[in-house]
Amino acid sequence: MNWKPGIIALACALAASAEPPKLVIGAIYVGSVNDYGYNRSFHDALAQVARDLPGVKLIEAENVPESADAERVLEGMVQQGAKLIFPTSFGHSDPARHVAKRHRDVAFEYAGDGDPEKNFGIYFGSTQTAWYPMGVAAGRMTRSNKLGFVLGMPIGYAVGNVNAFEMGARSVNPKAQTVVVVTGGWSDKAKEAGAANALLDQGCDVVAMHVDSPATVIQTVEARGAMSIGFQSLEARALAPKGWITGLGFTWAPFFTSVAKSVMAGKFRGEAVYQGLGGMVAIAPFGPSVPPEVQKAVTEAANKVAKGFSPFVGPLTDNTGKVVLPPGASIGADQMGGFNWYTQGVIGKVK
Amino acid sequence: MTTPLALGVLAGAVLSGTSLLYATLGETIVERAGIVNLGLEGILLVGASVGFAAASASGSPWRGLLAAAVAGCLGNLLFGWLVVTRRANQLASGLAMMFFGFGLSALVGAPYVGALITGLPKWRPAWLAAQPWVASTTLFNYDLITWLALPVAVLVWWALFRTRWGLGVRATGESPAAAFASGRDPAVLQYQALAAGGVLGGIAGAHLSLSLTLTWAEYMTGGRGFIAIALVIFSKWNPLRAIAGALLFGGAEALQLQLQARGSDISPFLLEMSPYLLTLLVLLAWGGARRLAAPASLGRTFYGSD
Repeated sequence: MNWKPGIIALACALAASAEPPKLVIGAIYVGSVNDYGYNRSFHDALAQVARDLPGVKLIEAENVPESADAERVLEGMVQQGAKLIFPTSFGHSDPARHVAKRHRDVAFEYAGDGDPEKNFGIYFGSTQTAWYPMGVAAGRMTRSNKLGFVLGMPIGYAVGNVNAFEMGARSVNPKAQTVVVVTGGWSDKAKEAGAANALLDQGCDVVAMHVDSPATVIQTVEARGAMSIGFQSLEARALAPKGWITGLGFTWAPFFTSVAKSVMAGKFRGEAVYQGLGGMVAIAPFGPSVPPEVQKAVTEAANKVAKGFSPFVGPLTDNTGKVVLPPGASIGADQMGGFNWYTQGVIGKVK
Repeated sequence: MTTPLALGVLAGAVLSGTSLLYATLGETIVERAGIVNLGLEGILLVGASVGFAAASASGSPWRGLLAAAVAGCLGNLLFGWLVVTRRANQLASGLAMMFFGFGLSALVGAPYVGALITGLPKWRPAWLAAQPWVASTTLFNYDLITWLALPVAVLVWWALFRTRWGLGVRATGESPAAAFASGRDPAVLQYQALAAGGVLGGIAGAHLSLSLTLTWAEYMTGGRGFIAIALVIFSKWNPLRAIAGALLFGGAEALQLQLQARGSDISPFLLEMSPYLLTLLVLLAWGGARRLAAPASLGRTFYGSD
């Protein structure tokens, strides 16, 4: 895929000084860092690390495909002296692991899942339980009791997001239903617009989404005077001055800072770290139309989740009425990729 | 209030079919002049990204639209230089142009990813907006590109079939030697057809980024350029039939999304395939009739005018 010239390496010498940097951090992104979404959340966090820790130099590469091409970019970063590298897309796993095997003195922190190695740490935000307070917000704000959800692909993690959203909505509004429309890709913009329009046509008045960039869905919903709940970046509220309710975003900076410090101290060791609300996931500011009592209910639900509450505790039935979780059983934070059923109240099919 | 299925599908078909129609019309003109442009997907992408970048930089979606039309035109003229002047193989050059379009659009669009733009203004006549079954949908709430889609299709038909210029273009597509013998310059006509087709392709791409999605993302056209090439065959190189083709494919895409939103029991994966399945079926059904309708010299290089 050498024709793709979009690989633009931005050598941001944020800590510009005559002295050599104390730590060079590399990061690769699958898209552009200006996407109001997934990639921007990582870029914002690393920029913060570079601001907070003197002597850190950042090398970033955008639009790095999830293929062997990524290996070449990662090797280049190692050659430029990077001692800590963040492969930020799920599909960067294989190329990053190959490069990590060749350079045991370079620490990697991969956003995804799998087994950690000595120089290969794994982390991600547990978004599933964090969607529960989003459901509380939507359940309180809806007038039609129909919530829309635009979904890129029905993979386990995303299905878990939808389930927690519907459970949160039902906890405050037993009539609330969540209608799912799958677009079949994480970045098929025209279909995202079509999906949002279809949901609004069917009477949904709040639309949430799990796609790479929330921009198209939020703007389509805003133009038709409905409300939206964002995902991926806390900045997405700029897209909907009227209809924005709230949203979820990633806050990687505290974790990245602690990792950078451990690399500088020579104490890095790869682990698997998953944090939800209060850790790597945060709730975005509320929109102007959200009444104080709704804000309070959402904040309370969020605090409950941050303290360890999970909606995924039996008895649970799926949306066909089948019991999927017997009483007393629960789904742990490490099993969030395994959802292959929609909870009661979700209109949609996983397969 | 829920919208009846047929209205929802129609509304979605128009929105998603607009860019398809412009792209199909552009390719129809080009193919009528005997040239297959497989690089159409790249032209759409360049139109979408240049349009978005210009709209973002200038603050005016109209300037974005103009820039997209110019960019599409220039892209097709470059293709023309390859296949008309340099007489390169059309299929290979078209694919090369497609990849060039991928790269160029990504390069132009990169600084503008995530930019906020004002989209093309939409307008709905008051008496239509007052209808209850219209108010709750996107029906008739269109930008200028969508409002002009049908008139442009008629205009293209008129230009191709009712003007001397169109006669020359079609003669070139059937037999460049005969066109040359009758005093026309096939190369000039092909360049003119490419320029017109490029303008329409650029507008098609701009509709995606400046109106439908209000965003630029790499490869956001998702194969629409290729669907448009299939629609040219479906419509038998006739601009008026292209209207039906664009609505049919746009409708298939809208139908699957509407069915999902209505809680259909069909697998989302199967639904998602349906528009492409429909394209295959249509091409299959039309396969036999194709030879009669295709310009006789489509895809052939003309060496005669030296």
